[in-house]
Amino acid sequence: MRRKEVYDPRRATRVVAVATARRAGRQGILWGLVFGATIAASASSYYPTWPTAASRAKLALSFEGNAAWAALFGPLRRLDTVAGYTAYKSGMFTIILGAIWGLLVATRVLRGEEDVGRWELFLSGQTTRARAALQAAIGLGVGIVALWVPTAFLTAAAGGSSKVNIGLGASLFFVTAVVAAATMFMAIGMLVGQLAATRHDANLIGAGALAASYLIRMAADSDSGLNWLRWASPLGWIEELRPLTGSRPFAFLPIVALVAVLLLASVRVARRRDLGASAFASRDAPRPRTLLLGGQAGLTVRLTRPTVVAWIVALAATGLVFGLVAQAAGSALRGARGLERAIERLGGTGIGAATYLGFVFVVAAGLMAIAVAGQIAAIRGEEAAGHLDNLLVRPVPRWRWLAVRLGVGLGLVVVASALSGLAAWVGATSQQAGIGLGDLLKAGLNVVPPAVFVLGIGGLAFGLWPRGAIGVVYGLVVWSFLVEIIAAAFDSNHWLRDTSPLLHIAPVPAADPNWTAAAWLVGLGVLAAVLGIAAFGRRDLVGE
Amino acid sequence: MRCVAVAEGPPDSYTRRKGRTREISVATAIRTEELSKTFGQTKALVSLNLEVPEGEVIGYLGPNGAGKTTTIRLLLGLIRATSGRAEIFGIDAQADPVEAHRHVAYVPGEATLWPSLTGAETLHLLGRVQGQVDTAYRDLLIERFEFDPSKRVRALSRGNRQKLILIAGLMSRSDLLLLDEPTSGLDPLMERTFRECVKESRERGQTVFLSSHILAEVEAVCDRVAILRAGHLVEVGTLAEMRHLSALQVEADLDGAMPDLSAVPGVSAVEVDGSRLRCQVAGSVEPLVSALAAAGVRHLVSREPSLEELFLAHYGADGSEEGTPDAA
Repeated sequence: MRRKEVYDPRRATRVVAVATARRAGRQGILWGLVFGATIAASASSYYPTWPTAASRAKLALSFEGNAAWAALFGPLRRLDTVAGYTAYKSGMFTIILGAIWGLLVATRVLRGEEDVGRWELFLSGQTTRARAALQAAIGLGVGIVALWVPTAFLTAAAGGSSKVNIGLGASLFFVTAVVAAATMFMAIGMLVGQLAATRHDANLIGAGALAASYLIRMAADSDSGLNWLRWASPLGWIEELRPLTGSRPFAFLPIVALVAVLLLASVRVARRRDLGASAFASRDAPRPRTLLLGGQAGLTVRLTRPTVVAWIVALAATGLVFGLVAQAAGSALRGARGLERAIERLGGTGIGAATYLGFVFVVAAGLMAIAVAGQIAAIRGEEAAGHLDNLLVRPVPRWRWLAVRLGVGLGLVVVASALSGLAAWVGATSQQAGIGLGDLLKAGLNVVPPAVFVLGIGGLAFGLWPRGAIGVVYGLVVWSFLVEIIAAAFDSNHWLRDTSPLLHIAPVPAADPNWTAAAWLVGLGVLAAVLGIAAFGRRDLVGE
Repeated sequence: MRCVAVAEGPPDSYTRRKGRTREISVATAIRTEELSKTFGQTKALVSLNLEVPEGEVIGYLGPNGAGKTTTIRLLLGLIRATSGRAEIFGIDAQADPVEAHRHVAYVPGEATLWPSLTGAETLHLLGRVQGQVDTAYRDLLIERFEFDPSKRVRALSRGNRQKLILIAGLMSRSDLLLLDEPTSGLDPLMERTFRECVKESRERGQTVFLSSHILAEVEAVCDRVAILRAGHLVEVGTLAEMRHLSALQVEADLDGAMPDLSAVPGVSAVEVDGSRLRCQVAGSVEPLVSALAAAGVRHLVSREPSLEELFLAHYGADGSEEGTPDAA
């Protein structure tokens, strides 16, 4: 007998919320673990790095009120306490990463799904455009909770230990502040996902909003007369919460208001607009530009140009800021025993502007690794979307295609590294730091070997396991960051340190480049890339 | 297959192996020998032996999952054969896909192009990558398919994207056209334009390998038809050959009582509706005609089976696949 299966109608109407919650929840938990580990590592490293009351007092004296430092990390308060130090050390990092994650996951759900035609399948079910948008918002809310729980657990666990001793309430308030940034930019992502023509455009607009928000609070924090400007920036509101340094919950009011307004606006726009349409004018018939379309290499340059240029500018700007604050930071760091030990472990000696630059360029190597991982994700994206078929059914050798794509990644690394060194020299020279151009160019290029290593491993993963390549390369980067952050807690010969490619380079210009380690990293990276290219030539093309 | 030996000389695009004397094949566009592909436990293609002479238009039929796209992706070297060999103009398509691709234009059933490029930019790029474009023919195709190349791909409808990928494939005038359900998303007028293009390609001596679900399209343009079922090639030949081997469709209007046809040799699928009789007859039609004449025939029509009937005969009228357990 034929039997008709009937599902609970309430379940049928919840399908968008459930699907979104599943995706956002999984990602939220993963990032929550990263954020929690970062915060816990920052808190745990305070007393080992600044063991005496005198060194902590000097730290506070040197950094609090330092305008350049405040512009970068937000106003620094109570650095002579573990709470103040944790807020400074991990606050801006997790806030910015959380905001980026929130933005990307929201545009993925509310525009990316529409771009590939899956959203209309949902809309053909028992829902409407507005209701589906609202359900997506609920699903994203689950993602926020999933981000909060592991972050809060690890933060509270670290705070509760006798070596740290941060109160539970203060810990949870801090975590909530960090997660609030992710929530706001998730809401921004929801709205721009409804307004823009494509997910790519939505991400660009959202990234512009994040950059504007950061720059406004940067201006506000760099001069006490401009502090009021913080209220004009969502990131400024997070600063006004003053987590771990004298909580001010009333600053949640604009945050909650913004999220509510953006949420309502998103649902309203979703109700009114046609599926696939955008509120912003989009040039669908521009003048043809064929300059770079003479072959595969030119196409690669054209497709990756916006991302590559953005990374180069961002890394050069980072180098400039490093240079500008190097002199002040170098003198402030004297007495930080943990830092001295960290520098010694990397092969440097002493404390000063050169040492500071050597240390922060190791951090810059991590940023470079993220840029490289993005290139691997773009390579895999070309294959998964089926775009690559259009080239490989024509006389284009597979090895050449992958070699060119990896070559673009290498070019990005070399140009961005050299420019960041040059920009650091411009900044340092303006502050009379007395470090030569050659030394800082070397410092910039010193970050190339770990990036080449990550690029090679990414290429190998792509050749062998295309569906896992993005996870492998980002996993390597996140792991390297974590090891770098918690490296201070380990002995110099601990095996864990050796697993991070970022910790195999010397702190140039505080020390000479470690040519042996650099050669190993480059050699292994190139070998992995060659093996990856060979493996790619022997496997099936694999879609999503 | 006609093979000739040529002395060592300048590079020849039809070269199969390097050496002092090279054997080249000029008469076989596609040849597969025991070509097989397995995905995990699924046998997508099983021991395919197929030869397509140069200049032929062959239709490649089969239900969803029969292995049609797998065959084409193996011929293009996009996926690796589990076993067997695939050649395009004598070139090993798996070992030297780049050389093989110099003779091939491919049109997929679903166009996945770069959304940020315009139609004109896409045609420029794909022409350059292919290495050969008949620009006058490209412009003619744009006109005949009524395609607007100024728009970005992301702003094009599904049908217009399909037109773009069709123009990109046809404009190269390649020796071999591998077409995988190329008219999906096109309206009937554009389908007709496509058929004209295929006929012109044959007149120019190009070989066309047309995988399609539209049986009328295959019947209209193809010289031969190959039918695939669950990864196995079950039939290949001209339509005339297939019809000759298949049962004739007979319909008759009778005056008298319905005769008993169960003992008449070759007769099957007898359907009776009042005085109307419908049946199939294989082999000689004479015993059936005698039996009907004895009953008194008012009207008699016989016809050869259509491609659809031939196709359905391999799968059953409901489209279900018969017999083979390892369906892709």
